[in-house]
Amino acid sequence: LDHGYALHTAAKDCFSSIVSQDAQALAERPRAVFYTNESDPANHTEHHEGRHYSIPLEEVKAVFPHGLPRRFQQQIKTFNEACLMVRKPALEIFTYLKSSNFAHPAVRYVIYGEKGTGKTMTLCHVVHYCARQGWLVLHVPDAHLWVKNCRELMQSSYNKERLDQPLQASFWLKNFKTSNERFLKEIKTQKKYVWGKRESTEEGRPLGEVVEQGLARVRNASDAVGVVLKEIKQQCHLGSFRLLVAVDGVNALWGRTTLKKEDKSPVSPEELTLVYNLRKMMMNDW
Amino acid sequence: RLSPSSCAAVYSSPLVLCRLTQVRWSRYNPSYIEPEVNKELYQKPWEELSEEEKEKMELKAVQPIKAAPPSLSSSVFSDPMISKFTNMMMKNGNKVLARSLMAQTLETIKRKQLEKYHKAPEDEKETIECNPYVIFHQALKNCQPIIGVTNITKGGKTYQVPVPLKDNRKRFLAMKWLITECRENKNRRTMMPEKLSQELLQAFNNEGPIIKKKHVLHKMAEANRAYAHFRWW
Repeated sequence: LDHGYALHTAAKDCFSSIVSQDAQALAERPRAVFYTNESDPANHTEHHEGRHYSIPLEEVKAVFPHGLPRRFQQQIKTFNEACLMVRKPALEIFTYLKSSNFAHPAVRYVIYGEKGTGKTMTLCHVVHYCARQGWLVLHVPDAHLWVKNCRELMQSSYNKERLDQPLQASFWLKNFKTSNERFLKEIKTQKKYVWGKRESTEEGRPLGEVVEQGLARVRNASDAVGVVLKEIKQQCHLGSFRLLVAVDGVNALWGRTTLKKEDKSPVSPEELTLVYNLRKMMMNDW
Repeated sequence: RLSPSSCAAVYSSPLVLCRLTQVRWSRYNPSYIEPEVNKELYQKPWEELSEEEKEKMELKAVQPIKAAPPSLSSSVFSDPMISKFTNMMMKNGNKVLARSLMAQTLETIKRKQLEKYHKAPEDEKETIECNPYVIFHQALKNCQPIIGVTNITKGGKTYQVPVPLKDNRKRFLAMKWLITECRENKNRRTMMPEKLSQELLQAFNNEGPIIKKKHVLHKMAEANRAYAHFRWW
């Protein structure tokens, strides 16, 4: 039914353009009906529903270093263009975001649906919109990657009961750095953090240094992620920037892990530093 | 005299003569007609048909028709060469897997050619072939040997005698070489579609190990020219 509705809007447009004597152009490019020239997500309306809009490739690299699913990246490589479809849930979220009151605590939205219906792509659409508007975007492409198939699991130095995941944390930090360069220079730390015997980050240093520390010393990467999340959460109130936390596969944070400790006992998600810190972001107390 | 056909021998008691039944040949009554899959033939009006076609259509009203095998299809997307190749790739009767591998191979070929197309300068864009079916057919044609060798024993010694090959044999050899090459000479971690697409593209450009094998066969036939008269057919 939805498919028919989308085709209906496209067909209506087709008729209107035929009336305005664009028939020749349409005959040359019969697929033009499904594309839209509007590449700024802020201007997408119900009129554009069901059409694809293309994102320039440099923006893709800057905004989505790790966000897009693998199949979509393959399509981008083959066709040399990234075209996202404008979907109704995305438009709904845009209206909510535009009219949201930033003095109130954050509202949490859940995109749900059956397999293959476009949840990840809708999330990427929203992320692109917020990146264009200048928000700070915290994008976790797949939370499932953090709770399974972890080769190195070490005990956390900060808290004895928790477990660290250096590889996943450093990978995420690298991509976070590429997507949010300018915010890392602007946000300053509000506390002193000691990483080891000789390394520490003073108060008032830019957040970029914490990220560098996490990337340089892979052992402290998970703790660096925790620090980054805490700082961003605290400073969100000051109003210098707007924050969007986008997590794909959020159920993984509250489900079971496939990881085991050295004594073969199963690990529950709270015992992982990354998951514990991300769960704190999921509360709407900021 | 016994005809050289595959028969099943039935031994019941020493008194009764063993009865031979045909096993691998068709069990249909000879009056049964082959099914006609071509849709265009049925869409033609009665007057346009030629005499033989009219006779055949009339016969179909009277005589029974054999059941169509599942591999025979009237779709525009079905290709007999591709079906043959898929059957040869199939292992243990797993046609689903073989067909999906074939589909992935064609997809990989298309993706590789599209990437090349987008990167090429304007004047070269027309020379790049993007249709995977065209590439498949051309590659197989390039791999087919023209002349083959058989073993003929004369005077106690076996000689490799050059011999002309039938069309079916040429097609079979090309497909067999392609499949064995992809199965054996690949890294453990590469998937079959990727390796197959690589080999097909190389064969399309007349390079690669299968073309080399074809040339080796040709050279062998050329070297053994002297024994060509040993052939008696």
